[in-house]
Amino acid sequence: MQSYHPGPWGGSSTWHSPSPPYPPHLISLSLSPESCFYLFLVVWDLCCCTRVFLSLRQAEGLLSSCSAQATLCGDFSCRARVLGAQDPVAVVFRLRCSEACGIFPDQGSNRCPCIGRQELFISTAELREMSEYHFDGKGKAFRPIIVVLMARACNIHHNNARNVQASQRAIALIAEMIHTASLVHDDIIDDASSRRGKHTVNKIWGEKKAVLAGDLILSAASIALARIGNTTVISILTQVIEDLVRGEFLQLGSKENENERFAHYLEKTFKKTASLIANSCKAVSVLGCPDPAVHEIAYQYGKNVGIAFQLIDDVLDFTSCSEQMGKPTSADLKLGLATGPVLFACQQFPEMNAMIMRRFGSPGDVDRALQYVLQSDGVQQTTYLAQRYCHKAVSEISKLRPSPERDALIQLSEMVLTRDK
Amino acid sequence: MSLRQLLLRLPRYLGASGPLRGPLDTISSVISCRGQSSRSPAQWNQVVSEAEKIVGYPTSFMSLRCLLSDELCNIAMQVRKLVGTQHPLLTTVSGFCSSEDGDLGLIHDRQNNLQLRGLVVLLISKAAGPNSVNASCQNYDMVSGIYSCQRSLAEITELIHTALLVHRGIVNLNELQSSDGPLKDMQFGNKIAILSGDFLLANACNGLALLQNTKVVELLASALMDLVQGVYYENSTLAKENRITDDIGISTWKEQTFLSHGALLAKSCQAAMELAKHDAEVQDMAFQYGKHMAMSHKINSDLLPFIKEKTGDSLTFNLNSAPVVLHQEFLGRDLWIKQIREAQEKGRLDYAKLRETIKAGKGVTSAIDLCRYHGNKALEALESFPPSEARTALENIVFAMTRFS
Repeated sequence: MQSYHPGPWGGSSTWHSPSPPYPPHLISLSLSPESCFYLFLVVWDLCCCTRVFLSLRQAEGLLSSCSAQATLCGDFSCRARVLGAQDPVAVVFRLRCSEACGIFPDQGSNRCPCIGRQELFISTAELREMSEYHFDGKGKAFRPIIVVLMARACNIHHNNARNVQASQRAIALIAEMIHTASLVHDDIIDDASSRRGKHTVNKIWGEKKAVLAGDLILSAASIALARIGNTTVISILTQVIEDLVRGEFLQLGSKENENERFAHYLEKTFKKTASLIANSCKAVSVLGCPDPAVHEIAYQYGKNVGIAFQLIDDVLDFTSCSEQMGKPTSADLKLGLATGPVLFACQQFPEMNAMIMRRFGSPGDVDRALQYVLQSDGVQQTTYLAQRYCHKAVSEISKLRPSPERDALIQLSEMVLTRDK
Repeated sequence: MSLRQLLLRLPRYLGASGPLRGPLDTISSVISCRGQSSRSPAQWNQVVSEAEKIVGYPTSFMSLRCLLSDELCNIAMQVRKLVGTQHPLLTTVSGFCSSEDGDLGLIHDRQNNLQLRGLVVLLISKAAGPNSVNASCQNYDMVSGIYSCQRSLAEITELIHTALLVHRGIVNLNELQSSDGPLKDMQFGNKIAILSGDFLLANACNGLALLQNTKVVELLASALMDLVQGVYYENSTLAKENRITDDIGISTWKEQTFLSHGALLAKSCQAAMELAKHDAEVQDMAFQYGKHMAMSHKINSDLLPFIKEKTGDSLTFNLNSAPVVLHQEFLGRDLWIKQIREAQEKGRLDYAKLRETIKAGKGVTSAIDLCRYHGNKALEALESFPPSEARTALENIVFAMTRFS
């Protein structure tokens, strides 16, 4: 299956399987040329859709996640060749949101022709820079990957069409934008200083400007959403924005009763993380397939994977080190938040109750809570819970017609459990 | 605090007048603040209260649904914790203290705007009336000649405006001074400001989605983007204030002011027409009215410190307001800088002195001309609407804003 594809790497690049001799770690990747091609298409869709800086690292991550071989970290150039590029440096495709769809204001598109003052350009440039700061390809791009795979899986399920519609690509972009807008605001709320291994927007530009950057990304996402021209899709994604805010409110409060506390935690987890994934999966399924049953499958898959993703995120906050996560660990405790591992540990060590209630506010609380969590089986229990959500996700997505994309979604849900960053 | 008490206070927390306060009461309290303004208070009061009668029901734009929600009660509780701190959110939301630039006119203006935006959207909806050609596709629930979707739109306009107002009140934590009080209070204030602003925005998005019109969603989303940019410029000029003014000409000033003050109203007016399925021409006229009326309104409030009969010596004014920018343009940058230097005493700017200097120049009169120019443009746009009491009310608003005597 040798096929020319006008890739994001320019006209001269053709897709081909890596030429022998295979580097040893690539052989173990064991991809058939055909599945390799499909994976390539997914990557290509992602490039078209996310319109954010999507680097080879993400393409790599995608390839390895799809083949469930993420642990096999080979060298850069070999994997680049799997993806069909000769020069790994050239593979860093920089499709920027603003350039690709003209959403963010830029110098060329100022409404009023009379302006041309430098101040305006400088400040606009700064606003752009802030808004694009997190679209640098260093994120996991977890959400757009799921959304594009889901779009393809639904399209295949419906009429065996493999192409992703432009509107579905836009959803992947919007999902990442809404996510980024909420990150920028969350970082101000938490007064966080680093994210994805670099300083947060609020630390560099100050809170006053950062909040505007978040609002600007949100408005850009809303414009892109409106341009899809489908009111159902608008309603679905609007739900996400509402859930994100409500989730943040849930995080402010805490419950005394233990059972209530856990339900509260899961609700917060759904609203803050899973709703975005669930609803954007639903949105692409609505665009790709008229069957309400499929919409529900897409939604349930996204919801369950999303909750599992966040549960593991909460586990990693205890088990991972800062360098891996790109943000400080035990961050939740420091913010006074009792996540899954803490709530499970509290069942074994009731003395943690008081600490939870005072939001780990007394001196030494954070360290003691950390010790309790590590002594308890809170981490294992939370991981187990995440597994249950993943199984639910897999059983949902398995209802779709088989396709490489569907299988990739199944493998992706397993990746969620085994990831270490 | 009882629920009722809480609810009564909520609107104040959010800087809006809620349904539990009488609309006229709110308007008149806003108007009374403007006692010394150039507009005759009695006359302005009359214009607005007549306009209110025309649109049929109180211009209380925060819907009860929004006010009664758990989150808002939560916000109100949290804001109460802020009382006693120095966080500007308090001043933004309660609207009784001085703003960051200390311009009293601006504050009152903000409160006033809060009422005016929604009112104008409702009035222009009524002035345009139902679409005669395309009557079949209308919603049936029309009250006082305004569709319910247009009423929602007026509410959304207010929500977006208020959200940005709240987000404006965020402080930069690394620029805090010891007089600002403990860092922790400021962090908490920022947190609440972000959350409440986002909450209002989420409600606006929700309301927009319910309108089921993608063009309206796009218009209002782009209005939000304009507003964000406008606030951004405003912040960056405010940051430099009291030191030196921006070297901007009046055309740049107009562009920035359109973003920060005009775009939302202009696009909301246009969207109101779209909701009633009026054609592109009517939509454009509504846009023009909203734009020019907002510009005229902004210039009017910029002029207040310069044309009041009695002004306290302490009264400051924005160095990037229309009369000052025009004054600078007439004078040339160098002479203007010289005048600022002359008005400076020990690093402090003597506003009273500078005001007299500016009043001696041509800046104030040309700002009045500019205000009238936009007023006339707004009136021109109205000519395409059929005569009606709503149109007359819109005209009267312009007359009230362009009267300087």
